[in-house]
Amino acid sequence: MSAVAYAGSMPVDDGWPPIGDHAVIGDGRTVALVARDGAVNWLCLPDLDSPSVFAALLDRRRGGRFVVAPDVPYEVHRRYLPGTNVLESTYHTRDGTARVTEALTLPTGLAPQRELVRRVEGLGGSVPFVWSVEPRFGYGGHRTRIERRMGIPVATGRGIAISVCAWDAGEPRTADGTISGSFTTRDGASSLVVMAAADGQPLVLPSRKDSEQRLDATTAFWEEWANDRTYDGPWKQHVIRSVLILKLLVFSPSGALAAAPTTSLPEHIGGDRNYDYRFVWLRDAAFTVGALLQTGCSPEADSFFWWLTHATRLTHPRLDVLYRLDGRPGPKEEELPLEGYRGSSPVRIGNDAAHQLQLDTYGDLLHMAGLYVDGDRDIDRDSAKRLAEIADLTCRIWEQPESGIWEDRERRLHFTQGKMNCAVALERACELAERGVLPGDEQRVARWRRESTSIRRFVDTRCWSEELQCYREAADSEELDAAVLLGAINRYVGDDTARMSATIDTLRRRLGSGPFLHRTTVNRDEEGAFLACSFWLVDALARLGRVEEAAATMDELVGYANDVGLFSEQIDPHTGSLLGNFPQALTHLALVNAATSVAEATR
Amino acid sequence: MSVWGALAGGLVGTVLLTTTLLAATHVRLTRMDLPFLLGTMVTPSYARARALGYAMHFGFGLLFALGYWLIFSAIGTASWWLGALLGVAHAFFAGTALVAVLLPAVHPRMGDELTAADSNPYLEPPGFLMTHYGRQTPIVMVAAHIAYGAVVGQFVALAG
Repeated sequence: MSAVAYAGSMPVDDGWPPIGDHAVIGDGRTVALVARDGAVNWLCLPDLDSPSVFAALLDRRRGGRFVVAPDVPYEVHRRYLPGTNVLESTYHTRDGTARVTEALTLPTGLAPQRELVRRVEGLGGSVPFVWSVEPRFGYGGHRTRIERRMGIPVATGRGIAISVCAWDAGEPRTADGTISGSFTTRDGASSLVVMAAADGQPLVLPSRKDSEQRLDATTAFWEEWANDRTYDGPWKQHVIRSVLILKLLVFSPSGALAAAPTTSLPEHIGGDRNYDYRFVWLRDAAFTVGALLQTGCSPEADSFFWWLTHATRLTHPRLDVLYRLDGRPGPKEEELPLEGYRGSSPVRIGNDAAHQLQLDTYGDLLHMAGLYVDGDRDIDRDSAKRLAEIADLTCRIWEQPESGIWEDRERRLHFTQGKMNCAVALERACELAERGVLPGDEQRVARWRRESTSIRRFVDTRCWSEELQCYREAADSEELDAAVLLGAINRYVGDDTARMSATIDTLRRRLGSGPFLHRTTVNRDEEGAFLACSFWLVDALARLGRVEEAAATMDELVGYANDVGLFSEQIDPHTGSLLGNFPQALTHLALVNAATSVAEATR
Repeated sequence: MSVWGALAGGLVGTVLLTTTLLAATHVRLTRMDLPFLLGTMVTPSYARARALGYAMHFGFGLLFALGYWLIFSAIGTASWWLGALLGVAHAFFAGTALVAVLLPAVHPRMGDELTAADSNPYLEPPGFLMTHYGRQTPIVMVAAHIAYGAVVGQFVALAG
């Protein structure tokens, strides 16, 4: 928990709130980003991958926001209520203290389709508060109409309706597409501002009692869910927070895990590497299943596994890089007329990386199947047949150049990590066939084994640099890539760990910055350090037996989470500012897996 | 004129009307959801409300078809275009009196202009011509009811 002083509701950093200033709340369908200054700067409705209603994070003028904050200078302390995704912000002002508790509630009975409840309680003295709701539908591209239903202001646009109910929070006023109010807290008094939304159906207008009950029930649900987690190793607080965030990123109707709830938060301030992450990357599959099973989230692991095996049927046996949350192929990329976070444009929706060839994906999928079976889960015959066909395809395509794990849009190379993962795919297929999980006659398994040996020979001869003492980024390249650490994590590296150990040392020298790693030497100066790579470093160190080094690095890394324990994709190693889409599933998955690897190595 | 023709037309017409409304919802012309509105009269459960609402919706579709049949019998002729004309009148009746005024009056979970939302959850009332559910709702409702009426009229005409 940390305190930050603000003058009234003024944000910082050239008028932009830092990315790391946000916390997230969610209900399993969508996620809202709430800044320390009380502004919900990002929310898509009705679902996480729908167009935004609040997008001030990408455009301060057109984006829209929902603010509840003191109207005088304050200091704010934030935390999640223990073991929950319910956010609590305590505002200290000269004349009093007040607490805001907020969540996207879980529905019970005839509840609004989506409901954001913000409860303000006076803890002492008096604090003047202002609140305003500025919905801007369809990424700010649709006109907002505001009317009243039974005296309650309702904003509509793009087939979505939003009602704003306020109790003991001042009389709502409407003007210029904004619903607003003000009030002053008193010691022991409570106020409530509730935003309810409906898409494709009439609004359910909530009562105060029901909204408060849902807020309390939502808190109780999260507490119970967190209590059921089985992890009891080091950095437990960070692991449980990560798992809670991952649960928020799971799209409940399908079980799919979104890579992040945001689009186009920049990897470099002012840069153009701004992409939409509101999809499921197959790459995250093995990390996801591993992390979920390690922390006792078997139902979530089952849902994700089944979602994955069904989604990939559409392109079978070829694997797309990413899929929509409902399992459809990823949409084409478009640019939106928004200014972008701190001028980082373009703002994109959709993702053109969807149809790239990324060979590592094949290894991730089969490695995931291996972890799933290791976790005492069953794979049905149809899925097993398809996994075997994916292994067959891997034999046919591993020699092709590809776009690689970092989705290079200009180069197609023989990336080392992609080749390593193809070997992993075939070796996992062999293991699963030997265990009777995958169908495979002797000839088929022999082919998988033969091709795997060929891949290893290729990696050993073309992807290892004796001079650098490191695996190269790609065959015959002089560049380096931290993704090769995944060779240790995905069990490409066997008993002979000398090369991977030397690789770690070289990568730390060439790509390291304190506890962090940049992802490649190619774009080291164009972006921040990559947080997932930094946690992969810990994981790899632990798996190679360098446990003390792993633990020390992990201790440093977890200290860079924001005040409520969240990480984005990247970090500026000099300032500690978080960069890129936020919060990032891959980073939190890597954190969980790194912690469990160290815990296991310590045992 | 065959009452069975009217009932068959009512069934097919309701399927068409429902599909039209669903398609309009999908392309964001309206938030109108008749089965949901009807079902929540009986239960606050989303899933049960939808299932019951569909059953009630089809029941009403058949009842209205009987009304159309009475009118066709009274004037001694039936055709698709006469049915379509009745559909226009039906849509305006639904949009002004039936759903806009009568439904809020009898719906236990729907508020009206005099209700304050301080005790129970209330469904947003539909408003005049159901425009609270989207400004294009009247157009969608008229189109859907024209389709319904034309089907009923044609079925009655074919059944003789």
